[in-house]
Amino acid sequence: MPITGLKTTQCNHPVMRRRTFVGAVGGGAVAGVAGCLTRDSTSGGSDGDTLRIATYPSMVEEGDPAGVWLKEAFESAYPEAEISWTVPENGINTYIQRARQDTVDADVYFGLNIDELVRVDDSLDGQLFRSLERDRIEGVDRLRDDLTFGDPNGRVLPYDTGYISLVYDESVVAPPESLDALLGAEYEDTLITQNAQSSDPGLAFLLWTIAEYGADGYLEYWRALRDNGVQILDGWSESYFGSYTEEERPMIVSYSTDQVFHATGDEPDLTRHQIAFPNGQGYENPEGMAIFADSDKADLAADFMAFVLSSEAQAEIAQRNVQFPAVADDHVDLDESFSQYAHAPAEPVTFTYDDLRGTLNGWIEDWAREFASQ
Amino acid sequence: MSRPNRSERGARLRRRSADVRRWLERRALALTTLVTAGVLAVMLYLPVGVVFGEAVIDDGAATLAFFRAVLTDPFYVGVLADVFAEPLAVKTHLESLVGWLGAISVAVSFESPLPGVSLPVPWLALEVPPIRKGLFGFTAYQAALSTIASVALGLPAAYVLANYEFRGRRTLRSLTILPFVLPGIMVAVGFYAMFGRAGTLNQGLALVGLGPIPFIEWNPLAIVIVAHAFYNAPLVARVTVAAWESVDARSVETARSLGASPRRAFRDVVVPQLLPAILTGALLTFIFTFMTFPIVLALGGLQLATVEVWIYDRVRRLAYSEAATLAVLETLLSLALTYTYLRYESAQSGLARAATAPSRTPLFPDRRTALSPRRLAIVGYGLVTLVVFVGPLASLVVGSVTDGSGFTLAHYAFLLERQLEGASYQTLPWVAIRNSLLFGVATLAVAVPMGVVVSVVTVRAGRGGTIVDTLAMLPLAVSGVVFGIGLLRGLVFGVSLPGGWQFRVTGGVAIVAAHAVAAYPFVTRNVSPLLSTLDPALVESARALGASRYRALRDVELPLVASGIVAGAAFAFAISIGEFSSTVLLASGSQTYTMPVAVERYLGRRSGPAVAMGTVLLVVTAASFVVVDRVGGRFER
Repeated sequence: MPITGLKTTQCNHPVMRRRTFVGAVGGGAVAGVAGCLTRDSTSGGSDGDTLRIATYPSMVEEGDPAGVWLKEAFESAYPEAEISWTVPENGINTYIQRARQDTVDADVYFGLNIDELVRVDDSLDGQLFRSLERDRIEGVDRLRDDLTFGDPNGRVLPYDTGYISLVYDESVVAPPESLDALLGAEYEDTLITQNAQSSDPGLAFLLWTIAEYGADGYLEYWRALRDNGVQILDGWSESYFGSYTEEERPMIVSYSTDQVFHATGDEPDLTRHQIAFPNGQGYENPEGMAIFADSDKADLAADFMAFVLSSEAQAEIAQRNVQFPAVADDHVDLDESFSQYAHAPAEPVTFTYDDLRGTLNGWIEDWAREFASQ
Repeated sequence: MSRPNRSERGARLRRRSADVRRWLERRALALTTLVTAGVLAVMLYLPVGVVFGEAVIDDGAATLAFFRAVLTDPFYVGVLADVFAEPLAVKTHLESLVGWLGAISVAVSFESPLPGVSLPVPWLALEVPPIRKGLFGFTAYQAALSTIASVALGLPAAYVLANYEFRGRRTLRSLTILPFVLPGIMVAVGFYAMFGRAGTLNQGLALVGLGPIPFIEWNPLAIVIVAHAFYNAPLVARVTVAAWESVDARSVETARSLGASPRRAFRDVVVPQLLPAILTGALLTFIFTFMTFPIVLALGGLQLATVEVWIYDRVRRLAYSEAATLAVLETLLSLALTYTYLRYESAQSGLARAATAPSRTPLFPDRRTALSPRRLAIVGYGLVTLVVFVGPLASLVVGSVTDGSGFTLAHYAFLLERQLEGASYQTLPWVAIRNSLLFGVATLAVAVPMGVVVSVVTVRAGRGGTIVDTLAMLPLAVSGVVFGIGLLRGLVFGVSLPGGWQFRVTGGVAIVAAHAVAAYPFVTRNVSPLLSTLDPALVESARALGASRYRALRDVELPLVASGIVAGAAFAFAISIGEFSSTVLLASGSQTYTMPVAVERYLGRRSGPAVAMGTVLLVVTAASFVVVDRVGGRFER
């Protein structure tokens, strides 16, 4: 019986490339496992003027993604610099785990939510991100006032924002006037939302109800919502591409930019892509960028942040990433077609860092237990 | 250099290599066992141990507080929480049990069990007072139902594939485990595309003026069970077919010649040889569906949450102690069940002396036979499999060539364009295909010897063998999320050794090793039932005639269980193709992604590219299965 001899040794782990002492260990290598013994792995920066930026997949993978544009535009504005995108498997958790046990191998995190910043601080004693020298970053004064992360340490700057709203089929239901209205008979068995334990829009909708009914009242609201047949599916992808697309239900918690994706052709059919803002509200989910505390590229990273906040970049990021700019309207020009189909609520609702710190996990757990295993 | 000199050296070399070969041959089993143990220690027990340790250690001190918290919380264990809280209050617990039993009532009523059809049928209503199952209880409950459904849907397939001859039978046999490789998101999208209100099935029903029927919402638990059967019935079928094809047909003939009716011969001779395989399929199904994720939430919703959903949430918020506690309990339950089954399997006495499977009869020899009740039942079953198995897959493929407005090749054009023009930090389809195939073949090559060795070492080795076999099944019994965290913390970040040294394992070879660890239990579970039904006298006579243990294995036993090995190899390949988290966690550099990783990465705010990549995954895997089976088939007799 042949044992295939896979005796390669691969130690090109970013940290291991530096100061690797010993390569393979005998027994492991025979078994087809490449082990590495290393010592003294110190925190280090990347080569030359390479800025290592961690982000989420769609930033670089979608058709015409913002990440590709950003890299090209930034590199032509700063010919010495190079952007190296990396897509960590578990988002920010990857770096929390690395900071606990290893060294962080990135300079900038691009795509941070407020709840993630809270998780970072709940899980780590030290600082994962550094406090920003705001004066050093040109364009900070143009940011919209309402998009603050409320971080007492000033570590995060927003680069765009999304709004969670309801997307509905106008041939089946009327837009609900308020969150209360969702409890009415006309909305029985109509609403799909997502598991707040793991889904961004699902969590946003949960927080929205907490903002409306308070930490003491939101569970009661959700019990009523359950009695009216709300369905809580797993993530946004399954619920939207699966359930909503196959017309299981006429209403789903989703992004207020929904129409942008479906407004193709001269007369797009947007029957199932109507946007509702109950109470005139939508939950605001700003996306932020931050510099890792261990990075030795803080200056270049600050240049990058300033570049991201420039008018041109703000318009490109917003439209390619299908979100709203983080700078005030005066400082950015969006295509008319984008503005036509991307809707923003009259009154954005959001929680800041201080609101969520120490309370978020409990809110989610109580809510999830209300539904699971009952 | 003169000629004779060279040939002399050649002869010496040949002698030397013959010596080495003999040496290797004598020690082949021992060496393979050693290597298997080494791989398991590094790739399985180390990472799992790193995480499981969190369940019993708090601030450096050993504690059972985490277990106590879970076991006394009705949310997790339902009514059993009282028992765990006060295990000695037997009288109280018995009283509440008696009270519950006394409240059960049976009544006859009329119900309409079919959705949308008002056909009242008499219904025996068993009124059981509600009992709080808790998260664990519900998880076990849905796993049990899923197991029953998977066995019920899988056995007929095994029967047809093993006993009838028809065009495409071998290809169909190769393709049975195709659902196994599909990423969860693709199954969810496929199921909605098939069973949704606007799905394929309802579109078909609309043609004959029916519907739309809310198949998915009508009963969330039912659709989740069907989805579990979609994954696992093929597993039951594949394991059972392998056993059926190894049945010693001569023992059937002997029984018949001694006057047994066909039915009697089947019941007394064939069934005992199949039962270990069927129970293996059931066991694996139960364990998988016990740890199911994320399909329950994607189709059924949060009220059907399982233990694994909670583990995932704990891992996500980095609460490792809680995650590990739940995962340890999950694993203990799975291993206990495995042990129970393996005790049964090892108690089976071997009868089979040759794999001369019953000859297959043509499925549809002529029109008259085609209308016989048995053939009609097969046709009916075929229709069911068309709906349950082919339907979601086909709907997925259709979804890859359509968008809101009709037929389009835009999604494939996206893949092609990405391949041709994509940047190095983007995901390129061909790289994903190539890596998947490379890892798959390498995994197969490592997992098959590993799995066979575990079988050989444990079968008929008494209680000790059963315990080793049970522990060797750990990869199946450990929560996938927890295993991923273990890999990350134990291997990627490394384990600290004295003197400031770090032991780390990453890269392509590590990925193959991790895949092989996940895959070899399938080889073992396919091979062991067949090995255990072999007549032990076969090996004993070979050994008595001077064959080494390895020779006896290679020349006598393995050919008799070849169908199990081929099935195991197909599973190993499938596991490697479908494996997601260990691939991304152990990847070093940005070029180590596989097809399911590509599917996940393409899944943005538009579904087209991901569904197209999922279709590519299906096609590539299907072609590979056919190749694996054809190549393997040359070893089957």
